[in-house]
Amino acid sequence: MIIRHLALRQGRRALTSQPIRRWTRFFASQVDTVEASLQTTLGEIRKVEAFVNSRSDHPVSPVDADPSSTPDNDASPEENLSNLGSEITPHYQPHTLLTNPPSPSDITLELLLASGAHLGHNTSLWNPGNAKYIHGIRDGVHILSLETTAAHLRRACKIVTEVARRGGLILFVGTRAGQDRCVVKAAELAGGCHLFDRWTPGSITNGQQILGNCRMKVVDELDREIPDFEEQLLDRSVLKPDLVVCLNPLENYVLLHECGLNNIPTIGIIDTNADPTWVTYPIPANDDSLRCVQVIAGVLGRAGEAGNKMRLEAASQGEVTYQPAQGLKMPAEKKDGEGQASSGSAPVSELGFLQTLM
Amino acid sequence: MKGVELSTGFQRAVCSVCRPRRPRSDASKHLVKRIRYPVSSASFSTSPTRRATDLTPASNRGIAAAPFSFGGDSEDSGLLKRVRVVPASPSYFSGKPDFTDSLLSLQALLRKYQTLPTVPAGQAPRVAWKTLAQFRLSLSEPVKAAKYHKIVEVLHRLNHIHPSLMPEEVLEALQKHKRDINPFENVANPRFIDGYGRAWGTGRRKASVATACVVEGEGEVLVNGKTLTQFFGRLHDRESVIWALKSTQRIDKYNIWALVKGGGTTGQAEALTLAVGKALMVHEPLLKPALRRAGCVTRDPRRVERKKPGHVKARKMPTWVKR
Repeated sequence: MIIRHLALRQGRRALTSQPIRRWTRFFASQVDTVEASLQTTLGEIRKVEAFVNSRSDHPVSPVDADPSSTPDNDASPEENLSNLGSEITPHYQPHTLLTNPPSPSDITLELLLASGAHLGHNTSLWNPGNAKYIHGIRDGVHILSLETTAAHLRRACKIVTEVARRGGLILFVGTRAGQDRCVVKAAELAGGCHLFDRWTPGSITNGQQILGNCRMKVVDELDREIPDFEEQLLDRSVLKPDLVVCLNPLENYVLLHECGLNNIPTIGIIDTNADPTWVTYPIPANDDSLRCVQVIAGVLGRAGEAGNKMRLEAASQGEVTYQPAQGLKMPAEKKDGEGQASSGSAPVSELGFLQTLM
Repeated sequence: MKGVELSTGFQRAVCSVCRPRRPRSDASKHLVKRIRYPVSSASFSTSPTRRATDLTPASNRGIAAAPFSFGGDSEDSGLLKRVRVVPASPSYFSGKPDFTDSLLSLQALLRKYQTLPTVPAGQAPRVAWKTLAQFRLSLSEPVKAAKYHKIVEVLHRLNHIHPSLMPEEVLEALQKHKRDINPFENVANPRFIDGYGRAWGTGRRKASVATACVVEGEGEVLVNGKTLTQFFGRLHDRESVIWALKSTQRIDKYNIWALVKGGGTTGQAEALTLAVGKALMVHEPLLKPALRRAGCVTRDPRRVERKKPGHVKARKMPTWVKR
């Protein structure tokens, strides 16, 4: 029975299969067939040309089969190649992230993707708290959702802007190797403080011991330093940041813990292996890529710059956008000098000095 | 009764859901307009300072009358309403702001002038930077040695900029970190043979100090007015005194007249080695390599090691006794 079925099936297939290739194929090379097909195509085109020419008044220029007579090939190779590579297309220049960082309006998924913000860690290293930020897995590595990253980054920018507008003290922290320049640049833009070295534990909770010798100053709404408050500042308690931006939360748990104890809001870059509950406002992104970190720090610095600009504009119109420092008294013997300063005519030396900070 | 209770209960429920109809006075509207800090009073901050700033105007509005202004110091209080306290340096939270600022300024300077040509390594002018202790004293900040080394590295690189192209601001920055006295500019006084054909040399060893006067002669030696055999009983010490001459085979060509004081016999003899060697170098400067090989140039810096507490001598421990 089986043999009968086999014969039936194979016989049917043998009958319906393609006929054996033409015997001329054995004598024809590949070039011959290509040339033959070209000739048939050309013949068809000529027919169409003749048809069109017979019907219309404007004759169609005939198609030339010989490629060697095209106008491009008449020029010398020098003329053809002279412009090669002279047009520089936009490309990645690493230093521009430090010299001219992007602003919050430049946040695009393309920028984040180009800077590698989406690359997380090996799936075995993940923190399940980051599940909502993760887009998927590729090659055993978690990929962060860049839409979430962009949204969180924009939110963080708004926070930084608003804190800077209200005269808050923003501290940028990035203690990994190579992060110092972007941290300093961001602090310079935002008019805040920077920390690229180790965070001394207790700088907030035990600040009087650790920061007691660091100098403070009193500034007015236009950021001009007002002298003669030094004696009062000696007795004053040390400053605490109003917002902390941490670029590597994994290494700075102590800092974030102290901020939590003192109700200081924190912004942090949360990679897939970090705990998002350590910071108040996480930015899910790749904290191991220096380029990504520079993009984020630069954007936040620009946000702070915008906030400072708003504050100074309001101040120039006589509006104070922050709560003034409390517990200060006017220095007794210098009342006349202060009256001049308050009337808005600061000496040139003071104006020069205010550029140093804030 | 039941109907009345039902209606009042319904009224109460409606009241609880709807907003209470309380007419706002014009004064309160005016007050709301005057608040400058755009904080919505509905948001409640857990931060004590923030809460104080948020709720103070609201509580004033609700309970107490507006604070009185007694006039007089209106201008000053106007200033005090506009001031805030900020760190003097952006490196405030590093705990060493002056150090961090100087490091950053030096690094910025190096970046600015990175492309200037440099002199080959080792050909830059020798500069003694401030020691760590001096640097700490100038800043009064707890700077660690490794951190200060970062500054010194940048200074070293800046010092290698070609002197003919050295910018003025780099010179100023380097000057700040230099020691007041450059020890590399110290040059030893040149020594001469005096009018009597004498060359003087001084040597020290342990607690002894020796001065030797070497003149051309027949090989006579006088130490503190005595001959070598009278002054030194030990043969090795006698050899040490004339070792500079013996190793260069010039025992019968020079006379030595020396004064020596302090220390013991070995120290005095080896102090004389150095003194004679230095004086001989004045006569024949080309002998310096040979004298160095013979050990007549370098001062031996070893001194008696101090005794330590808990030890019998410098290192000897008391004998261990069971109980």
